[in-house]
Amino acid sequence: MILSELLDSPVHDDEGRRLGFVVDVRLALDGPVLGLLASPRVVGLLVSPHTGTSFLGYERREDQRPAVLGRLLRWRHRGTFLVQWSDVTLVDDGAVRLAPGYRRWSATLRRTTS
Amino acid sequence: MSRVRRRALPFPADEPREELPPPEGLVLDARLHLLDRQVLDVDGRPVATVDDLELTTPDGGEHVDGGDDAVVRALLSGPVLGTRIFGGRPPVSRWHRIGWPDVVEVGTVMRLGVRGDGLDVLWVERWIRDHVVGRIPGGRHDPE
Repeated sequence: MILSELLDSPVHDDEGRRLGFVVDVRLALDGPVLGLLASPRVVGLLVSPHTGTSFLGYERREDQRPAVLGRLLRWRHRGTFLVQWSDVTLVDDGAVRLAPGYRRWSATLRRTTS
Repeated sequence: MSRVRRRALPFPADEPREELPPPEGLVLDARLHLLDRQVLDVDGRPVATVDDLELTTPDGGEHVDGGDDAVVRALLSGPVLGTRIFGGRPPVSRWHRIGWPDVVEVGTVMRLGVRGDGLDVLWVERWIRDHVVGRIPGGRHDPE
């Protein structure tokens, strides 16, 4: 599988209701060590109810400037949530389905590289 | 792409949400921190940009189903200009892989621990150097 098969895919719950679109995939460098670094493990999917695009991740942080642009982009991505990869039951070409009782986590990103 | 109307959402958009307990390792968002980053080889020379990522199961299985553990196995670089404008994806045969074991640093740029000369991703540049530039008089040495 390649990443772009997931990005921008519509996301549905187990009853077929559309929840939004995959705007990003959250990774953690705690997978099996390959070479010098641990490989990035897929933690979950970031789902935006309103748009399949993302711009500089404003919706995942609250301290970015300029404030006006930040507020506008956070409003555009209001309701964005993180769903754990273990709650994903189906990844088909262009569609993602979540498990019954999936949990919506905050999309806030705490630790970044830059 | 049709958006989901606010009243059609099966949950309130402004509901309070807990943060996921932080994983052990560095946390990255693929599109935000990896895609379109420049890749430099061990000598600091540009090799490629990250156009996509290859996801596999931890034991290398290519088929990843929902819920299966998945890891990034390779950085992919390829001819994405056309597909970004007109949509779609390049065929698998056009991707060039840079295996994750070659990556030694993830930051503003991705640094590799190997020389770019040995990577498939630079074959076009090598071919042009050897077959075109190298045949131009003076093309095989530094300018004097």
